[in-house]
Amino acid sequence: MVAFVLFSIRRAWQGFWRNALMSLAATLTMVLMLTLLAGFFVLQNVLLASLTFVEQKVEVVAYVQNTATQDQVNALVAKVQAMPEVASVQFVSRDQALANFRQTLAAQGRPDLTTSLDQNPLYASVNVKLRDPSQLSAVVSAIGDQPIVRSVINIQALVDRVLTFTSVVRSAGIAILGIVGVIVLFIIVNTIRLAVVARAEEIEIMRLVGASDAFIRWPFVFEGALVGLLGAMITLGLLLLASQPLSQAMVSFFNVLPIELGSVGRDTTALVLGTGVGLGVLGAWVSVRTYLIR
Amino acid sequence: MTSPETASPSLFGRLAGRSRPVRTSHDVVVLHDVTKRYPNGRMALRDVDLVVPEGDFVFLVGPSGAGKSTLMRLLIRDELATQGHVVVDGDDLARLRRRAVPRVRRKIGVVFQDFKLLPRKTVWENVAFALEVTGTPRAKIRPAVDRVIALVGLTAQAAQIPTQLSGGEQQRTAIARALVHDPRIIIADEPTGNLDPVISWEIIQLLLRINELGVTILMATHDAEVVTALRKRVVALEEGRVIRDELGAAYHRED
Repeated sequence: MVAFVLFSIRRAWQGFWRNALMSLAATLTMVLMLTLLAGFFVLQNVLLASLTFVEQKVEVVAYVQNTATQDQVNALVAKVQAMPEVASVQFVSRDQALANFRQTLAAQGRPDLTTSLDQNPLYASVNVKLRDPSQLSAVVSAIGDQPIVRSVINIQALVDRVLTFTSVVRSAGIAILGIVGVIVLFIIVNTIRLAVVARAEEIEIMRLVGASDAFIRWPFVFEGALVGLLGAMITLGLLLLASQPLSQAMVSFFNVLPIELGSVGRDTTALVLGTGVGLGVLGAWVSVRTYLIR
Repeated sequence: MTSPETASPSLFGRLAGRSRPVRTSHDVVVLHDVTKRYPNGRMALRDVDLVVPEGDFVFLVGPSGAGKSTLMRLLIRDELATQGHVVVDGDDLARLRRRAVPRVRRKIGVVFQDFKLLPRKTVWENVAFALEVTGTPRAKIRPAVDRVIALVGLTAQAAQIPTQLSGGEQQRTAIARALVHDPRIIIADEPTGNLDPVISWEIIQLLLRINELGVTILMATHDAEVVTALRKRVVALEEGRVIRDELGAAYHRED
């Protein structure tokens, strides 16, 4: 058994180098396809992260009557906090609201006209972040019924549009990733098949001299795995080289998009390695099968 | 037409005893009522009966498309007979489990017109390849390969690759490879088809010597001169049928 595995690995290694050009072509195709796949995968993840970011921006803003006492406000905040749809609640007092507004004006470089006012024209507000933006209307109506709430900004139509858009983008992303995956599968399997077919004569001789199926198959399977592994490593190397400048470009392009991409690197590595080795093995397996004993 | 019965009394005995089981230990090849129809409907062999006792030297003759190659492919179980039995060294190939096929193939050495050598391996490696891919321990490979290479007279050329060899030397390499498993029978499909007459004779002489060592030889050929000169057993195929099976015969029918 050990001798057989060693034999297969040695033959795979020999086969790889004796047909160096073919192996190189297969490996480069593998790199190209894996890069394509990984590219789409990362893109998909960035897209999903940005969509989540956009959805998190959905906020219910309820303006509070100026006559409301601090106790009433606290009661409202506590009540809203208790709602299961609510992620977090923040109370913005009138002074704070004015400060925020002034900051925004300053940031935009516009003159601050509020100083000419003799009193603060802004209302205090309760800003509610939702766990799920599709729960917007329920939360809006619940808060709007409260006596101390003056008005609730209704952004239902906008939120609906955002939600439709994000769900379309999500499905399209998954569909495109699936299509790219199938294309990658066929091209890699076909490339490995070419490498195997190029050695049809060798396989024929093996059969004629009485080699068992295992002795014919496994060296090619190991060789397919070798091509897959090598292709995956080169792809990961390229991605690693490209990731730093790319993410910097993204950050400057989107003007600081606070996206959480912690697990993407690990997932991409697993995807590239798994797809590469898996398809190399699969391609070799189905290609050699044609030549085995009928 | 000379029937097999008159040509060979011993053969007559075997064919007459059809009722007894086809497994016989001293017949290396037994074909019994074998018909082969390919999926495209072409009938390659019809009702072929052929018994080759151990140690025989048989020429298989007939025009192209007569079924010679199909017969050889049936023997190495590259194809299965549509009807009838094909028995090689006691194994009925139709009943053979897939896993057992390689074991039977090791009892058959095959030699082809186009040699089928691996171009990047040396003579020695080409012969050793047959043992390596059948899981022979390395310690046993060296002496076995050295022995058959000496037998075919290629010891001096052992380190050369096929393109450095003449056609005759390439065919000797192929014969050495066919011999290295110590087969019961050598099946040679037009082994001299690519060689000039002088070299052809050398190959034939080699096959005769191997035959003298006890290996059964079944050789398909178009070489009338060789067949007629050697006066061995001749089996003639035409349109898939055995039309002649004679001992000590010529390439063409003589009566």
